[in-house]
Amino acid sequence: MFKLFIFISIIINLYANEPISPIPLKSGIDVEKAKLGRMLFFDTTLSKDNSTACVSCHNVFQGGADSNIVSKGFNGMSGNIQSPTVLNARYNFKQFWNGRVDTLSQQVDGPIHNPVEHNLNSELLEKRLNASKLYKKLFLNIYKKFDIKYKDAVDAIVEFEKGLITPNSKFDKYLRGEIKLTKNEKNGYRLFKQYGCITCHNGINVGSNSFQKMGTFVEYKSKNSYPDKEAITHKKIHHNVFKVPTLRNINLTAPYFHDGAAKTLKEAINMMAKHNLGVELSDKEIADLTLFLITLEGEKPTILESN
Amino acid sequence: MRLNRSILLVLLVGIVSSIAIIYFYLIQREFTKNHREFLTSTSKLKHSQSRLDYLILENSVYAYQNQDKIKNRIKKLLNEYKNLKESTILKDKTYTQIDEKIIALKEKIDSNLENIEDYLMFNAGIKNSLLFLTRHVENSELSKIDDNNIVIKANYILKHFYDTKRIQDLDYLENESFLLISDSKDKKVQEFVRKFNIHSKFLAKGFKKYINSVNSVLDNNVYNSIVSITTDFSKIALKDFKALDIFAFILFSIFILSLSFIIFLLYSYIQKNQALKHSLTYDQLTNLYNRKSLEYKLTHISKPTLLLINIDGFKNINDIYGNEVGDSLLIKIAQMLKKELTNLNIFRLGGDEFGTIFEDITENEVLKIANKLEKTISKHNFIFDNLKLNISVSIVTNNIFPILENADLTLKLLKHNPNKRVMKYTDNLNLKKSVQENMQIVEMIKSAIADDRVIPYFQPIINLQTSKIEKYEALVRIRLEDGTILSPFKFLEISKKSSDYHEITKIMINKIIQTAKEFPEYRFSLNISMLDILNEQLITMLFDCFEKNRDTVSRVDIELLESEFLEDTKKVQEFIEKLHSYGSKILIDDFGSGYSNFSYFSNLEIDIVKIDGSIVSEIINDHTKLHILKTIHQFTNGMNKTNIAEYVENREIALILKEIGIKYAQGYYFSQPLPRPLNDSKVII
Repeated sequence: MFKLFIFISIIINLYANEPISPIPLKSGIDVEKAKLGRMLFFDTTLSKDNSTACVSCHNVFQGGADSNIVSKGFNGMSGNIQSPTVLNARYNFKQFWNGRVDTLSQQVDGPIHNPVEHNLNSELLEKRLNASKLYKKLFLNIYKKFDIKYKDAVDAIVEFEKGLITPNSKFDKYLRGEIKLTKNEKNGYRLFKQYGCITCHNGINVGSNSFQKMGTFVEYKSKNSYPDKEAITHKKIHHNVFKVPTLRNINLTAPYFHDGAAKTLKEAINMMAKHNLGVELSDKEIADLTLFLITLEGEKPTILESN
Repeated sequence: MRLNRSILLVLLVGIVSSIAIIYFYLIQREFTKNHREFLTSTSKLKHSQSRLDYLILENSVYAYQNQDKIKNRIKKLLNEYKNLKESTILKDKTYTQIDEKIIALKEKIDSNLENIEDYLMFNAGIKNSLLFLTRHVENSELSKIDDNNIVIKANYILKHFYDTKRIQDLDYLENESFLLISDSKDKKVQEFVRKFNIHSKFLAKGFKKYINSVNSVLDNNVYNSIVSITTDFSKIALKDFKALDIFAFILFSIFILSLSFIIFLLYSYIQKNQALKHSLTYDQLTNLYNRKSLEYKLTHISKPTLLLINIDGFKNINDIYGNEVGDSLLIKIAQMLKKELTNLNIFRLGGDEFGTIFEDITENEVLKIANKLEKTISKHNFIFDNLKLNISVSIVTNNIFPILENADLTLKLLKHNPNKRVMKYTDNLNLKKSVQENMQIVEMIKSAIADDRVIPYFQPIINLQTSKIEKYEALVRIRLEDGTILSPFKFLEISKKSSDYHEITKIMINKIIQTAKEFPEYRFSLNISMLDILNEQLITMLFDCFEKNRDTVSRVDIELLESEFLEDTKKVQEFIEKLHSYGSKILIDDFGSGYSNFSYFSNLEIDIVKIDGSIVSEIINDHTKLHILKTIHQFTNGMNKTNIAEYVENREIALILKEIGIKYAQGYYFSQPLPRPLNDSKVII
């Protein structure tokens, strides 16, 4: 027993010292509620013209983001930013690229009401859901109310999103001491730390816990303007400042950056090295970094599989 | 009534203070809970803030850090702030000021968090570039090739940057050049310089923002604000606690007061109870044990002997000297009994009756004590101011059950015996038998009335001068079923205790009137006690009969029998006046004995005076009696009143009476009472 205690203590301490921590194996969600949330997440009735579901822009089967640079929403209109992944979003310190809200439920409000996305108001959503016998039954089971409320629908979606975690990535297993990385992968991780990528991309989500300016060294210029942190704080220092994005499942979420400017990982790594680190990387270094980043791909969320 | 009201008051105070205590308890508990909740929240918030400060410090020291720690701590901090803001106590108006400060605190927290975000942003670049430069210089192979100066300069610049970071003072960077300059054509050197300068430029430019952000994070006074809020809160809370203290003190005072009041009530209740108990056991006047105690004692002693002491004629003492003297006498006797009967419990049984109980004592001993006590009391002079009283007592002893009842009966018997003052109860006294007899007599009277066996007997009254019968005194008799004739002393007293007496009187009046009609040559007289005159019902009946027989009743006289001291002479006067209006005459009976006295003559219109038999029968042997008789005769004759001498038992007496000049006489010498008057009125003396 004492040995076990010592062992556990050492493991915990080891994890504590690594700047990246593994994703828990269990999401600890209410599965029934999450299933209802999943139904809503996939349901196009949640948009005014029945064209768009949450999943339209957050392909949970493929990285949780949109492969388009900007997503298409209501009436085929386009959004103004690259869709960030919904996978592991529960670990984000703030939501949206510019971190304008703190919680998932606040985030859900955004796209649903956004005129170029779902373009739906709460009343209409409630009316539509209440018209469905199936939803009525499911909501009654879970929320014990005969009337479906917008608030409860959001709650269910959030529960589903909380289930969207991708544990057991190769790197997490490495962190837990279960497997070893290849030489190249390990070198990639070393470079990741040496060049200072780790300074911003750390924590459970390998990012998503601080803001950073896109282009600290070499100013970054986009073709269009995007809602950055400056749009919220109106401070000049926040120009081009965005939430540092997660690097988990990064190989699945191309295109990259808020403007989707990088089509491939290599491009993305190069751009970061130039604009934010002020370094030039060799092809070998880029290759190793890429291999490391691929180890961050986790298993598909179990909530997608359960019936 | 007063006690009840007090109990009600105490009950009310009790209920009110109970409610107040409960209210106080709830308020106090609520306040303490809320107070604790607030302090816990501030303390947690304070802790989180200091943890956050620490994490920022850690972040600035380490090359890299898991910033989730900061993220999580911030989440926790915001949550703790929310809890603090929602503290129940802040809804109290007293704490509005604190609430405002807490709202202001949120701005500080938010601004600090923004500063942290900026700090992390700037710090990342600075850290990365410093690390880059360090490795850049380390890894360069320039020292081997060429320009040593460049490396030295690079190291110098690098050291300067590190120092600046350590010192956190922008002045340290001023007037310094951070760019490497080299004329070297060597590509490696050029590349080294180029890469170095990119970061060096970045650092020189970025340090300002970095240090500003560090300072603004370090300068955050969130922690101090929380401390100051806590201090202010405690100041206000102290007032509340003081108020609670005062409230508690008041409650406690009320509690103590009502407790004292309850104790006081309990005390007075016990005292009253004791007084009540005392009054149940003791006689209030003499402070002796009362009748109840005696009865109790009698049933709790194996061989009790009762000594019953009764004051003779106590009623007269009360009537003559007043109740005050009577009461004082009772007290004096009580003291005397206590003195005489040492070591014994003395009881006052009520009125003028005292008693004591002996246990296991011989009859002789008790009698001895009783006799001694009787003598002591009768010899004693009871002195009240300037009044000296001598009294006699009757003492009865008894050890036969039922003790008290037997003693009472014996006492009654003793009272009728003027010669004996001490008597012992024995079954031979047949006292109970007489009670039974009394019952039988009552029955007998009732049946006699029903069967018309109540009859008058007539004793002739002779005119000594003419030797002729002129009058008859009617005397009541009851003829029993076997023909025996009963004298009134066997039944009259008993009949007075019921309505039978009224009926007997009525029968007598009617029958006398009847007889008077038959014998128009005689006068008749009927005995009425003076007390009867006070009986309105009886008198009304008498005058009804008189009214119906106006002719006859002028020959029917009334003999007033005096037995008690009469107070209301006015009634008697009215009675006599009315009788006179019918032509009846008034006789005073048994004059010269008992209560009869000469004062009657001044108040009452008496026609004839009957001289008592105890005088008449002894005039031969007793000169005094003869003298009395002569005096009465002279006195009454002087007032023009006629005399009748009773109890004339022999011829000698009759002759003396005739000689003195007494007009009438009656007695066995002439005739005993007869069932009917005689037709012949002539007698021989």
